[in-house]
Amino acid sequence: MRLPLAWLRTYIDLPDDVDAIAEKLSMLGFPVESIERKPTISGVVVGRITALEKHPNADRLQVCTIEIGASKALTIATAATNVAVGQTIPVAQIGAVLPHITIAPRKMRGVESEGMLCSAEELALPAEWFEDGIMQLDETLPLGTDVVTAFGLCEPILEVEITSNRADAMSVLGIARELAAAYGTTLRSPSLENPGSEAAPTEHAPQIELRSSDCTRFVAQRIEGVRVAPAPSAIRIRLAQAGQRPIDALVDISNFVMLEIGQPLHFYDADAIPHAHLIVRDAAPGERLTTIDERELELDARALVIADENGVQGLAGIKGGAIGEIRASTTALLIEGATFVGARIRRTSARFALRTEASARHERTLPPALADAGVARAASLLATLGARAFAPVVVGDAIPQATPIALNSLSVKRLLGIEASPDSIAFHLRALGCEVAVEGEQLAVRPPWWRRDLTQSVDLIEEYARLEGYERIPESLPCVPATEVSSARYRREREAAHLLEALGYREVLTYSLVGESLLGALAKGGLDERSRSVEVANPLSEEQHYLRASLEAGLLAYLARRDERAAIFEIGHAFSRGESTVLETPTIALALATESIEEPTWQDRGFMQIKRDTFALLARLTGRSISAVSGEHRFLHPGICAILSIDGRPVGVVGRLHPYLAQSFELARPIYLAALDADALPDYVAPTYTPPSKFPATYRDLALVLAPDIEAAAVERIAREAVGADCVGIRVFDEYRGAQVGADKKSLAVRITLQSPN
Amino acid sequence: MSALQPQLDEIARRLRDAADAVNDSAELEELRVRFLGRSGEVTLVRRGIGALPPAERPDAGKLINDAVAQMEMVLDAASARIARGALDEELQRRIDVTFPAPDAALGSIHPVRRIIEEIAETFERLGFATVLGAEVEPSYYTFDALNIPADHPAREGFDSFFITPELLLRPHTSPMQIRTMQQHRPPVAILAPGRCYRRDAVDARHLFQFHQVEGLLVAEGINFGHLKGALAHLSRTLFGPDQRVRFRPSFFPFTEPSAEVDTTCPKCKGSGASCSMCGGSGWIEIGGAGMVHPNVLREVGYDPAEVSGWAFGVGVERIALARYEIDDIRRLIESEPDFLRQLQ
Ligand SMILES: [Zn+2]
Repeated sequence: MRLPLAWLRTYIDLPDDVDAIAEKLSMLGFPVESIERKPTISGVVVGRITALEKHPNADRLQVCTIEIGASKALTIATAATNVAVGQTIPVAQIGAVLPHITIAPRKMRGVESEGMLCSAEELALPAEWFEDGIMQLDETLPLGTDVVTAFGLCEPILEVEITSNRADAMSVLGIARELAAAYGTTLRSPSLENPGSEAAPTEHAPQIELRSSDCTRFVAQRIEGVRVAPAPSAIRIRLAQAGQRPIDALVDISNFVMLEIGQPLHFYDADAIPHAHLIVRDAAPGERLTTIDERELELDARALVIADENGVQGLAGIKGGAIGEIRASTTALLIEGATFVGARIRRTSARFALRTEASARHERTLPPALADAGVARAASLLATLGARAFAPVVVGDAIPQATPIALNSLSVKRLLGIEASPDSIAFHLRALGCEVAVEGEQLAVRPPWWRRDLTQSVDLIEEYARLEGYERIPESLPCVPATEVSSARYRREREAAHLLEALGYREVLTYSLVGESLLGALAKGGLDERSRSVEVANPLSEEQHYLRASLEAGLLAYLARRDERAAIFEIGHAFSRGESTVLETPTIALALATESIEEPTWQDRGFMQIKRDTFALLARLTGRSISAVSGEHRFLHPGICAILSIDGRPVGVVGRLHPYLAQSFELARPIYLAALDADALPDYVAPTYTPPSKFPATYRDLALVLAPDIEAAAVERIAREAVGADCVGIRVFDEYRGAQVGADKKSLAVRITLQSPN
Repeated sequence: MSALQPQLDEIARRLRDAADAVNDSAELEELRVRFLGRSGEVTLVRRGIGALPPAERPDAGKLINDAVAQMEMVLDAASARIARGALDEELQRRIDVTFPAPDAALGSIHPVRRIIEEIAETFERLGFATVLGAEVEPSYYTFDALNIPADHPAREGFDSFFITPELLLRPHTSPMQIRTMQQHRPPVAILAPGRCYRRDAVDARHLFQFHQVEGLLVAEGINFGHLKGALAHLSRTLFGPDQRVRFRPSFFPFTEPSAEVDTTCPKCKGSGASCSMCGGSGWIEIGGAGMVHPNVLREVGYDPAEVSGWAFGVGVERIALARYEIDDIRRLIESEPDFLRQLQ
């Protein structure tokens, strides 16, 4: 929210230093995201053009005589074309400082010019929001008034963040209220009494019909004798400083009240509403609305609308329609100030992607009493412009008085850890507008009508802490009691990462959300990952369309970015479709990019490297023995792929990248992958110690000539069974193929180690 | 008898002269054999004892033994001198110790994990357990149980990726609060690190996936001061002993009072002076925190009158950026080898 400091200062005395104010706001829970500082401007006063002549020597210049109050009139030459006798305008006198120039006496084509008439831009206001040429001021301003101080033109603008619980703080007055409580100063609130007391004539009296309980209050008021003309300078300038474009007095007053006290209003041309009859209801299916900004909306019963007898006038709490809007001929107004159930407004605003200043306030659920205050404030401002206000018509439940909240001062201490006397608690809560009754340790607190977020004692404790200052609460370390929660899964993940680091692998992160570029590359390599992937319903881009079904794909994409040796790993979740839910597999994935080497087709050194590392990892993580059998996996070469198991349960896979995928990812080097399911790993079993046998060990190496499809694991298993009890080690340690064993044979060398136990 | 002594003295003198001249251990061994060996000079003298009258034999034996002991001392001294000489020679060796050693074949841990580990370790020392959870969560755990009912405007602050209307990628690690408290009676002290997701457009400061560490402590007598103390302690562990922590009031539906937590900017040490890291404020925001809301405690069946607690969530990437002075958050996920090498 843009917060012009000058506007704030109209309700409260504040220190000069804007940084101190910003700091104060931040420490109250309203972070100041930025401070827009204004250039220095001085020496600009209110003047009136009393005479105007053509410049004797220049067609495009005029010479004005300008009264500026007490001192003598000034003669100023100007090139502006929008000047006329009688206008009240800002005048930069000799010596005045403007954003880009300092005014000095000068001759303009022979005429001595004693200053300069100012445009909005020269007063650091957005030029496109004000008249071209010289800015026009109210006639009622005393001549000679310092324009800069009167309108706070040099005061900075704060951009303040308002948390979603603070419906009351979405206004200049709301923030002023907070600062008044924090600084312990008085708030100069504008009067919120409605000037209209006489009921409107029957034919004009507003008739309000609430057909939905989502409208909590509706205040309508007839105003006569309005005129569509520019608003008073103060309002135009305040709006411009707050980032709202000034339009005309009526629209500007409506916006001014919203920004000032937080109540969005809607002004209807009273003549456009038959029988002054307004209805709050659900939209009928197929009903249409053309908004003020000419957007065509098709509505249904989910939308809450304000309608007249002929149809929809506006989307409740969000935006008005084109039919009832103010036009140049408008002389009588029907003001609407209403409050709604925030959720309803929020849903509709989200559905039509219509975020407005009004919806931003209404979706936080405004207090019903604010509707009365807002309408009253608008009526007062219109009255100062000479309009006539009739009595407001109010529909909705009576505004309930807030129920007192019981608060024990000991519970404040219990939650905050500082001594809090009942009096100090009462002091802060009163500063926020609460009514507080103190009885011993016990307080009964009635929040003000604008603080509907205060409903239970903890809300009050927070208010106390906020005003007392969080910095007053001393730091202390808690004494944590022993709990039964286990860290086992985290510990295993951490250990895996450290083991892999020791084995030479670098940990990388890749995206869990993937899209076309990755899935396309997989599809080109013959892998349809799309059908197994979980879809994201509302991705920001096509590249976030799916949850990754594997970590391997991300690692391949990583390796494909550069052609170099690499050993990497990632630990993260892979996602797949479950019955009615999403299955998550915490996965440890390794990838190895090695150098191409010459080797026989029945050997693969890279495979052995990643198998070695994976076995080491698994053995350390589980304390158990790992077995591998040849198998298949969608990412891997069907002949160079092993399924890993522990105690008969599969825990992962290791192998060489499938050549089709290698091609589609343009990976020229040999790539090896391993993927382990962390949740499938059995618990770690601690080893037990066996003292060395006093009998010596001996071994025997055998070379077996075998059919080439007989695997080492089978040889080891058979040898173990055959040798029996004293066999303490069996390991196949060499494979040979070639002339010595014949073309369709291989030779495996196996070492059998024998030793008797004690 | 008197003839024996000069003879031994003479042998000893020759041995001493010879030993002084010897410069390697092989020669010294030859010397030992020549004088004291089985057919060495002293052995020959000892054989002569048999020719003496029996009464003189014990004295003669003693003389010879003494002489042998003396000579052995001479030989030992020479041996020590030679050995020492060899070491002195070794001491003359010089290598270029600045010559680069080959790199060890170590890999590395990602900086994000390293920070998570430091946080976990800090809190584990205080008695916390570290738990991991799912990344896809029902909206009950991400919102409803955390006192964010449907249509609460705060839901918008967690702009989430949805799988179905009821299932989403967690926008914070807070579901682990609910899951843990529903499974365990108080006291509960956990840390829950993990990946989170929000629909943020990716730029130098934002990623749509990031890591958070959730902390939760619920027990009797836990207060806001403990929260401040714990996060100040964490911040000093991560950034150094002079670190200060600032709590600013804020709003989260699941905590009250709530706070945004800032720590001294590690780059400018809080001075702020034209600092690119903190934008001149002297502080960097590390996360949000607060006292667990009584509605949340009630939801998990805890009695807010009996126990109280706090929770925090810190952004790991944000800490990593500050800690390692990383210019762009995307470098963390790009994980370029050079980046990992520099931060290993
Ligand atoms: Zn800094």
